[in-house]
Amino acid sequence: MSELLIELEQVGVAFHAQRSIGGGRYWALEHVDLQLRRGERLGVIGRNGAGKSTLLRVLAGILVPDRGRVRRAPVSCQLMSLALGFLPHLSGRDNAVLSGLLLGLRRRDIIARLPAIHEFSELGDFFDQPIATYSVGMNMRLAFSVALQVEPDVLLIDEVLAVGDAEFQEKSGAALRARMGEGHTVVLVSHDEAQIAERCDRVLWIEHGRSVAEGPRDEVFAAYHRDFHHAVAAA
Amino acid sequence: MRQHLIELVLFSTYAELRAETARSYLGLVWWVLEPAMMMAAFWLVFDVILKTGGPDYLPFLLIGMTLWQWMKSCITHGGYAIWSALPMVRQVRLPPLVFPLVAMLSDTVKFFFIFLLLLVILWAMGYPPNRAYWALPVLFFAIFLAAAGAGFIVAALVPLVPDLRFVIEQVLMVVMFLSGVIFPLDKVPAHLRWVMELNPVAVVMDDARGILMHGQLPNWIGFGKVCLIAVVLCGVGMLVVRQLAPRFPKLAS
Repeated sequence: MSELLIELEQVGVAFHAQRSIGGGRYWALEHVDLQLRRGERLGVIGRNGAGKSTLLRVLAGILVPDRGRVRRAPVSCQLMSLALGFLPHLSGRDNAVLSGLLLGLRRRDIIARLPAIHEFSELGDFFDQPIATYSVGMNMRLAFSVALQVEPDVLLIDEVLAVGDAEFQEKSGAALRARMGEGHTVVLVSHDEAQIAERCDRVLWIEHGRSVAEGPRDEVFAAYHRDFHHAVAAA
Repeated sequence: MRQHLIELVLFSTYAELRAETARSYLGLVWWVLEPAMMMAAFWLVFDVILKTGGPDYLPFLLIGMTLWQWMKSCITHGGYAIWSALPMVRQVRLPPLVFPLVAMLSDTVKFFFIFLLLLVILWAMGYPPNRAYWALPVLFFAIFLAAAGAGFIVAALVPLVPDLRFVIEQVLMVVMFLSGVIFPLDKVPAHLRWVMELNPVAVVMDDARGILMHGQLPNWIGFGKVCLIAVVLCGVGMLVVRQLAPRFPKLAS
């Protein structure tokens, strides 16, 4: 079995319900167990508000759990964030460098990848124009092209698989699929089952902040569907 | 890791300054024009109309305002930096000190432009460069440490209690009046003098005026005390940010 990268044991994360004096707390994650090994492609499923995104931010090291334990090998984990830190009056090129630095790349690495970013984004001469002049689609193309350059040991993806027009969606989807197929360790959160089924080999199912099942994709999906039909029948 | 953070802070500072100049028609000119307009307003009210100052009042005021604006902008811009970066704090794992530091560094770059203008004005008014100038970098360093310390503390607290923003400007105004930025503090009663001697802002104001106007080096013992206060303030600020860091990603902006 391959190397254990991250292990969560009975992890819980609480948020304050609102900003007021004496406001209560609620547990976005209550009790999650998870083991992530090198080279795994883990999908996280669950209904809206199940705690999927919170879990991803715990894995990224952004959120520190309020209870339970996180054990982590010395690896880099990065949430794939689009347009992180983009400043509207800065050129596409400068924004690419800024965003790349925020995503954990060294400056020389981003500079070396600028031609690739320029080409993949299909921005042409606009690359050196302020991004305030971009359309939404152009902005997303730049954002995706930068995010694609980040190569952490563990890549965490929260539903960012399709951006831009149909043509670019296909291209970005293919690039991401290629990345996930290269043996990288990936955690993908989505409520689109088809995406998870296509891209992941293991699945974690969480509900109301608790891990319900974790294991091979087909087994967890079968249990998930059984539960879903029960819920529908009960309603 | 550390080198990456240095690169990030420096490039972010450049990006912020660059974006700011691109936002207005006059761009870079505003860095100097805006404080110059404010100094002119104070000079008009306090010197020309109210005749509060003596013969040396204009350089007194210009030096005070230049330094104070720098400190104030470090404290306010730095102080709001983590709060305004909360959407980013929720997305990426970074030491939160990065955000106030970037704001303070870009204010410091702007301060150097304004300070150059101040020097030119002082020379034109008959206060030529003198040997005591060598003490200026030391003075600036102490000012930056103190302002950064105060800014870090504010930066750590504002995300948790955004209401503080409404208080800080007022507190800073009181500090400005109590620090001899606009009026000399010679009317302070003798039994309260010791408080003024520990007020870092008042001490550095005096020292800066001594250097720039009279070629006089600071009183090193008094300045040493202020440095100590600045170092402690900075240390406390960094500690508070570090202690509260786990709470920032959970906050709504």
